Amino acid sequence: MEPVGLPPVPSTSRMGFSELSVRERMREKLKAARSKAEATLSQEDLGPRPRHLKSIRERKAELRLDKGSGDQLGELQRDESLLSSKIKFSDSVKKLKQKSQAQSDYPSAEEAYNFFTLNFDPEPESIKAGARKRSELNEEEAEEYVETHEEEQEEDETDEDAHLVKDADLFIMGQTDEDFLVTKPAECERYSEQLQKEKEFLFIPSMQTVPTSQKMPENMQPRYLEDEGLYAEERPFVSPSNQNILENRILRQEKGKEWFGDDGRILALPNPIKQSSTRPPVFSLEEGIAPELETIYRKAIRTTAANQYLIGPGDFQGPFQLDIDISGLIFTHHPCFSREHVLAAKLAQLYDQYLARKQKNLTELLTDKLRALRNAVQCSMDSAAASGPTAQQSIPEYKIEIRQTRRLRDAEQEKDRMLLKSIIKVWKQMKSLREFQKFTNTPMKLYLRKEEVDQRSDEKAYEAEIQAEINELQEEYMEEYEKKMEEYKTELQEWKSWKKAQKSKKKKKKDLREEESVEDYDVGEEPVKPVPPKMVDSLEIEQQVREKANNFRRKPGEPALIPELVLSGSITPSEQCPRAEVLRREDVNKRSAFIKVFFNSKEVSRTVTRPLSSDFRVHFGQIFNLQIFNWPESLKLQIYETTGMSSTTLLAEVFIPVPETTVLTGSAPMEEIEFSSNQRVMLDHEGVGSDVSFSFEADGSNQMTLMTSGKVSNSVSWAVGEKGIPLVPPVSQQNTGIPSALKNIDAIASIGTSGLTDMKKLAKWAAETKLDPNDPNNAALMQMIMVASSGEAHVPDFFRLEQLQQEFNFVSDEEFNRSKRFRLLQLRNEEVAEFRNYKQVPLHEREISEKLFQEYEKRLHERDVIDSKHYLDARRAVVANYLQKVRESVINRFLIAKHHFLLSDLVNEEEIPTLGILGLGLFKLAEPKRPLKPRRKERKKVTAQSLSDGDIKLLVNIIRAYDIPVRKPVTSKLQQPSKSSRSFNEMFAASPSAQSPTNNVDWAFDQVLVRPFVEVSFQRTVCRTTTAEGPNPNWNEELEFPFRAPNGDYSTHSLQSVKDEVFINVFDEVLHDVTEDDRDRGSGIHTRIERRWLGCVKIPFTTIYFQARIDGTFKVNIPPVLLGYSKEKNLGIERGYDSVRNLSEGSYITLFITIEPQLIPGESVREKMNEMLKKFDTQEDEKLLQAAEKYEAECTSKFPSRQCLTTVIDLSGKTVFITRYIKPLNPPQELLDALPNSSQTTAELVARYVALIPFLPDSVSFAGICDLWCTSDQFLDLLAGDEEEHAVLLCNYFLGMGKKAWLIIGNAIPEGQTAYVLTLEQSQYVIWNPSTGCFYRQYDTFCPLQSVYCLISCDNIWFNIQQWDSPVRISFDISKPKLWKPFFSRSLPYPGLCSVQPEELVYQHSDKAAAVELQGRIEKILKEKIMEWRPRHLTRWNRYCTSTLRNFLPLLEQNQGKDVEDDHQAELQKQLGDYRVSGFPIHMPFSEVRPLVEAVHSTGVHTIDVSNVEFALAVYVHPYPQNVLSTWIYVASLVRNR
Amino acid sequence: MAEVHLIGQLLGASGFSQRRLFCKWGLHAGGAWKLLGGLREGQTQVDDPQADDMAHWCHPLDVHFATKGLQGWPRLHLQVWHQDSLGRTELLGYGFCHVPSSPGCHALSCVTWRPRGSGVTQRLRHRLLGGGPQLRAPDLIYAGADRFRLRTEAAGTVHVELGVLLRHFGRYGVQC
Repeated sequence: MEPVGLPPVPSTSRMGFSELSVRERMREKLKAARSKAEATLSQEDLGPRPRHLKSIRERKAELRLDKGSGDQLGELQRDESLLSSKIKFSDSVKKLKQKSQAQSDYPSAEEAYNFFTLNFDPEPESIKAGARKRSELNEEEAEEYVETHEEEQEEDETDEDAHLVKDADLFIMGQTDEDFLVTKPAECERYSEQLQKEKEFLFIPSMQTVPTSQKMPENMQPRYLEDEGLYAEERPFVSPSNQNILENRILRQEKGKEWFGDDGRILALPNPIKQSSTRPPVFSLEEGIAPELETIYRKAIRTTAANQYLIGPGDFQGPFQLDIDISGLIFTHHPCFSREHVLAAKLAQLYDQYLARKQKNLTELLTDKLRALRNAVQCSMDSAAASGPTAQQSIPEYKIEIRQTRRLRDAEQEKDRMLLKSIIKVWKQMKSLREFQKFTNTPMKLYLRKEEVDQRSDEKAYEAEIQAEINELQEEYMEEYEKKMEEYKTELQEWKSWKKAQKSKKKKKKDLREEESVEDYDVGEEPVKPVPPKMVDSLEIEQQVREKANNFRRKPGEPALIPELVLSGSITPSEQCPRAEVLRREDVNKRSAFIKVFFNSKEVSRTVTRPLSSDFRVHFGQIFNLQIFNWPESLKLQIYETTGMSSTTLLAEVFIPVPETTVLTGSAPMEEIEFSSNQRVMLDHEGVGSDVSFSFEADGSNQMTLMTSGKVSNSVSWAVGEKGIPLVPPVSQQNTGIPSALKNIDAIASIGTSGLTDMKKLAKWAAETKLDPNDPNNAALMQMIMVASSGEAHVPDFFRLEQLQQEFNFVSDEEFNRSKRFRLLQLRNEEVAEFRNYKQVPLHEREISEKLFQEYEKRLHERDVIDSKHYLDARRAVVANYLQKVRESVINRFLIAKHHFLLSDLVNEEEIPTLGILGLGLFKLAEPKRPLKPRRKERKKVTAQSLSDGDIKLLVNIIRAYDIPVRKPVTSKLQQPSKSSRSFNEMFAASPSAQSPTNNVDWAFDQVLVRPFVEVSFQRTVCRTTTAEGPNPNWNEELEFPFRAPNGDYSTHSLQSVKDEVFINVFDEVLHDVTEDDRDRGSGIHTRIERRWLGCVKIPFTTIYFQARIDGTFKVNIPPVLLGYSKEKNLGIERGYDSVRNLSEGSYITLFITIEPQLIPGESVREKMNEMLKKFDTQEDEKLLQAAEKYEAECTSKFPSRQCLTTVIDLSGKTVFITRYIKPLNPPQELLDALPNSSQTTAELVARYVALIPFLPDSVSFAGICDLWCTSDQFLDLLAGDEEEHAVLLCNYFLGMGKKAWLIIGNAIPEGQTAYVLTLEQSQYVIWNPSTGCFYRQYDTFCPLQSVYCLISCDNIWFNIQQWDSPVRISFDISKPKLWKPFFSRSLPYPGLCSVQPEELVYQHSDKAAAVELQGRIEKILKEKIMEWRPRHLTRWNRYCTSTLRNFLPLLEQNQGKDVEDDHQAELQKQLGDYRVSGFPIHMPFSEVRPLVEAVHSTGVHTIDVSNVEFALAVYVHPYPQNVLSTWIYVASLVRNR
Repeated sequence: MAEVHLIGQLLGASGFSQRRLFCKWGLHAGGAWKLLGGLREGQTQVDDPQADDMAHWCHPLDVHFATKGLQGWPRLHLQVWHQDSLGRTELLGYGFCHVPSSPGCHALSCVTWRPRGSGVTQRLRHRLLGGGPQLRAPDLIYAGADRFRLRTEAAGTVHVELGVLLRHFGRYGVQC
C-alpha cells in the first residue's frame, strides 16, 4: 500500500530541493509574473500534468484511506495553516501539489474523463483567470482553483484540507513510517462467488453423449460405410468422454455440423501409428557390428610420442612386447673351415636333405597310390560287365590319374637315387681327404646300412612292376594311336571331299568360262593330304621302361642302402697335426661372435660374445624382450665376429620377419635363417678362407669358391602378458601396404601376411570364415580369389577409384597437369630449391613464362647426364654430379629436420634475472663515471626473420697495408738473381742481413713510389678508397655495402648458404702523361689515370656471418711475378720490425669487416642438426660414443668457446670416431722422387700438392648443416673438399713420410673454424695451412691460425686446457696432462680402432695429353671472355708476347712461383724492348672454368682503354698424379712505347 | 582447372565439458582435388581459457586447392581433445563440416559428438578416470554412411571462420 501523500513525479522533483530553494524560486516566479502581465503557460502546465500521470488503479485505494484518517487531522491543520506567513508560503507550494492529488481522487475513469474533457472546455476563462490570480497571489489562486473544480463534492473539500495539512506536517515536522503504512489481511474471494462469476462468462460443455440426430443434417439417416462393405480405416483412439466434450463444443459453434461425417461421427484421418516401430532398436551392441563402427574404450594415457609427430587418435594401449630368442649360430661356411670342414658341411647338408625326404617319403606314398589305383581299375574292369556304364565311365579317369602318379613317382625316385649317390660320393671324397692329410678335423662318420631283401620276391615285384608299366604305356600309346587314327580319318575325309569339290569346280569353270565372272573362290591353302599315324613298337616301349628302371630304381636283389650320419668319429689332437692345421685351430679358438639386435634399424641390444667352437657353432641362448610401442617395421640381426682382442667385423645382416600376431611366446617354433657374407678373407693357414677359390683336386681343377655363410637359429614371438593377454599391437597399426578391403576383415591376422600371396590359403580362409560374397566390402577379395582359382576370369587392365569422376571432370588430366600456375604453386609449396622463395605467383596462366621451368627441368633432366662443357674434364663432371647428389640427399634430409620445431624455436622465454645480476647492475650504478674511457657497447643482435632488403649493411674498414710492391723504373738494370733455396733453418734463423740486398741502394733514392688504393667489390657493388702513397699506405676508411640475400630470403638457413665473397683488390694508380704536343706542356696537364692490379684478398660472406666480425691482418694474394713492380727491399729505418716482416715475405693488409646490424648466426639449427645426427647410424662402440660425449661435455663446460671434436659424420652419414681418419699414407711417388735428398722441400711439395686440390667448403654446400668428412681416397676421388679433408690428407702424408704430425682443430682468419696440421721439425713446431700449402713457425705473428682447440693424432685426442689458445702463447707439448687433456688415458685405454682410411693410396698417372688439350680450351675460353668484356674496343693479341709467356709458365711451375721474377723480367725486356708490359701470372688449382674466368676478370687487365693496347694471354696446365691440375694463367697488356 | 582457396581460422570451441582443449583438424577432398599450397592437416595449441568457457585457438587455415571436378568437395574434419592437468589427453568430440561452396567469408559452427561408452562401467570409468571410447577408424568422421549404429552424445561446438575464394568455376558452368 502506498503512503497517502506520495506526490507525483514532477512535484517530487521540486520537493527534492530544499524548502528555501523552492521559496526562492517561487519568489522569482512571482517577480517574473509581476513584471509580465501575461503569465507564462509553463507555470500553468505544472498543474494539470501530474494528473495525467496518476494511474487509475491507485485511486480507489487512496480514496479509502483518506476517508478514514483525514477527518480528525483536518481541523488541526486548518488552524495551523493560518499560523505564519512562512508556513503558509510553503503550504502554498504543497497545495499546488496536493491539488493534483486531491483531484486524482476521483473514483472512476468516467469522471476522470469528464474532468479532462468537460471541465476544461466550457470554462477556459476560469483557467486563465486562475492563472492570472496565481500570478498575483499564488496561494489564493491555488485554493480557488481547487474550489472551482470541486464544487460538486463537498466531502472532498475536507479531504483536501486534510491532505494539505498532513503533507505540510510531513515536511515540516517529520513523521514516522507507521503513519503511512496500514497492515491489512490477505484478501480473497469466496469459491462460490468465484464460480458464480465464472458462470457468467465460461462455457463448460457437458460430457453427455450427443444424440446422432443433432449431429446430422436434418432428414438424414446416418450411414455406416462399414456396414455397406466399404473399407473403413481405423480411427485413432479417443476416449468417449473426450469425444463427447468435443462434440458438444463443436455443435455450439457456427456450422458445427460440418465437422461430422455421414455416420454421425467426427471426421477423422486414419490412425497414423504403426504397429511396428520403423527404426528397430539396436540391441546387439556386442555382435554384428561392422568392425569399422566399433568403438573401443581407451584409458586416458600419457602420450609419450606427443611431441614428436602428429599422431592419429592414439592407437596404442601401452607397451607391447616382442621376444627375440637367439639360440645360436651355425656356420655352414667359415673362412677358417678346413677342406674337410667344407666337405663335412656339404655332407651334413645332403644328409639333412635325405632325412627330410625320408620323412616325407613321397616315393613310398606315390607307389602306394599307384598300386591302389591299379587295383581300382582292375576291380572296375571286372565289375564293368555287371554294373554297367557308370563304372565304365570312371576307368579313363583312373587311367589318367595313374599316368600322372607314375610320372611323379618316377621323378621322386630319381631324386632319391641321386641324393643317395651324391651322399656317397661326398663321403668318399672326405675319406680320401682324411687319408691324404693324415688327420681328421670333424667327428663326422657315415655308415651305410644294408637292408637285405629277399632276392626272389624282389625280382618278382620288380618284374611285375615293369610289366604293369609296359602294359599301361602300351595302352596309352594305343589310345593315342586310336585318337590320332580318328583324327586322320576325319582329315582324310575332309581332304577327299575338298578334292572332289575342287574337281567339280574346275569342271564348272570350264563350262562357264565365257562368263568369266571374277569369282572369289578361295585360293586358301590347299589341305595337305594327311599322313596316317604310326604304330608304336612294343619292344621299344619295353626298352624304354627297363632303361628308366635301371637308372632310377634299385636293382632287384640289391640290398637297400640306408645312410646314417654320426658324430662319433675322433678328432686328431692338435699335437699330431701339421703346423698349418694347428695354426688354423688356434685361429678358430681366437674367434668369437656376437649378434646385435636392431629394431626398426635402431640397435636395441646385443648378445654376449661367445667363442666359436671347433665345429663352428656358437651357442647364445639368450632371449631379448623388446618392449615396443609401434608395430615393428623391421627386425634385424647383425652378426659380428671378433678376432682376438681387437678387430670386430660385421659378417652379415639378417632380416627377421616380423612374426604374425598369432605367434606367441611358448608356441613359436625355432627358425633357422641363413645368411652369407661376401667378405673376402684370405688366411695363411689351413683355413680355406672366404671368397677364395680352392680345389680338392690335386691338379687344381674343378675350383670352387665359397662365401662365409651360416644359419642363425632364432625365434621371434609376441610375449604373453599377465592373464594370458598377448602383447600384440592392434593390426590397424600395420596398415601400411595392405589393401583396405583386407584390412577390415583381418585376413592377415588369421593367415599371416604370407598367406595373401598364397591363393589357395586365402580361398580356404575365405571359405572357412564364411565370408559373405555379396558383401561389397569383400567384392575385391572374392574377385581376386575367383580369378586366381579359376584362372580365366576377365581381369580389367585398369583400376579406378572414383568410377564416375571422369564423366564429370571439367578438364582432362593432361590439361590439368599442364597448368603452369598450378605447377609453380605446387613447386613453391614443396620447397623445391629453385622456387623456394618465389614471392608472387602470377594470377594468369599467360603471365608465367615457360622459361621459369626451364632451369628446373634441365636440372631434373640432366641429373644423370654428365655435362662436360662446364667442367672441361669428364672426370670432374662426374665428381660434380656425384657431389650434387650427395648434397641433395643431405639437404632433403635436413629440410625435414628443419620443420621439426623445438619449443625454444617458437617461444622466447627470457630468463628471470637472478639476484646476482641485479646486484651487479646496482653496483654499476654506483660506479664513478669516466667519460674519457670509452666503453664498448654491446651491439644489438637482430634475428634474421624480421629483415628485408636494404636493412643489412656490410662495413669494410680498410686500415692500412704493409709492403706493397713498388714500381720499378723501366730503365732499371738487370738485377742479380738472388735465388735462394729456402730451408726451414734459414727461415727460422731469420737473419735479416742475409736477405737484405746490398746492390740496390743506388736506385732507392730516385725510386718511383707506388700510389696504391683499395677497391672492394661485393655483390656487384664496388667501392674504393682514396689513393695513398708509398708502399706502407694508411687509409683508415670505412666502406659500406648494402647486402642483399638471395631471393630476399633472410632466414638463417638462407644466409648460411650465401656464396658471395668480398673481393678486396689492391691497385696501383698510375698517371700517364698523354700530352701529345710538347708545346702544350707549359699551359696544360693532360694525363690519364691507369690502374694496375697488385693483388687481392677474398673473404667469403659466410665467414663474416659466422664470425660476426673479422679483424686482422691478411696476406695479400700477390701474383708471383708482377711485371714492372718489385718488392720494396727494406731500407732499414725500422730494423726491428723489418726482421719480422721479411720473414713473412709478402704484402699485408689490415682490415676490419663486420655486418650492421649484427646477425645472429643460426646456432639453433646446428644444435638441432646435432641432435638429428645422433640418430644417424654408427658402427662405433656404444661405450666409446658415451665416453666421447662425456669428454666433449667436460671440455666445453670448462672452455665453452673452444670446440671439442671427437666424432664426425662420414659421407654415408654415419658417425665415425675422428682418430680413425688419421693414418700414415703414401704421398705420390712422383713427388717423393722429385727431390730425394731434401726432406723439407719434399714436405713443401707435398703441401703444395694438397693445396692444389680444389677447395669446396661444405659449409656452403650444406648450408651450415653439418660437416661431412671424406676419407682421403674419397677426397682424392672427388678432388674437392674443405679444410678438414685437406688437413687430414696432409697430416696423413706427413705421417707417411715419417714425420710427427697432428691435426689441429682451431680457429683461423679468415676461414673461421678450421683444421690445420702441426708437425714437429727439429724440435720446432711448424703449423701448416693445408689449403694454401703455406707453413708458419709457432711464433710467427702472421700465422692465420688464431686459436688452437684440440690436437688429433691417429690414436688420441688432446684438448687444450691451457689458459690461452693462441698458438704463440701455448705449449704444444702434449705429454703434459696439465696443458692437454687426453681422450684416451689410463682410465680409458686406446682400444685399437681400425682406420677408415685405405691401406694405401693408388694414384693414377697424370695424363699429359689431356692437360695440353685442357690448356688449349681454357685459353680459348679466356680469350673469348676478354673480348666479350671489351665490347667497344678492338682487342688485339700479341702473338709474340703470348708465346714468350707460354714458355715462361712451365718455369714458374717448376719453381713453384718463387724467385724467377727477375730472370723473367729481363727476358721480357729483351724480347719486347719497346713495349710497356704490365701483367702477371695467376696461379690456381683447377676445378671449374668459372673461377678462372672470375679471377681474370677481377684483375681488371681488360679495362685498359689505350687505343693501341695489345694483349697477351697464356695458359699452362701442369698435371699432377690423380688428376690434380695446377693452372697458370698469364695475362698482360702491352702498350708500345713511343 | 578451377581453384578454391580457403583462408580462415579455427576460432575456438565452446560448450565442452572440459577446459584445456586442443583440436586436430584435417581437410579431406576427393581424388580430383590437388593441393597447391598450404597444409592439409594440423593441430592447434592447447588453450586453457582463464576468462570464460570458450577456448580460443585462432589457428590459421590457408589451403589452396585446384580441382578438375566438383566431386569430393573439401570437408573439414575436426577432433577436439582435452589435455588434463596430468598431461593426459582424451577425446572430447568429433565433428565435420563441408567447406562452404559460396565465395565469401563464412562463420561456421561445427557441432561435435563423441561416441558413448556401451556399458555402465565404461561410462563410470570415463567419468572417474577419464579416457573413453574412440573411433577405430577416424575416417568415419566424414565418411560414415552407416554411422547410425553408433551411440553418441553431443559435445560442444567448434567455431570456424572460413573465407572461400573461388576461381574459374564459372568457366565450367558452375554458378556460385
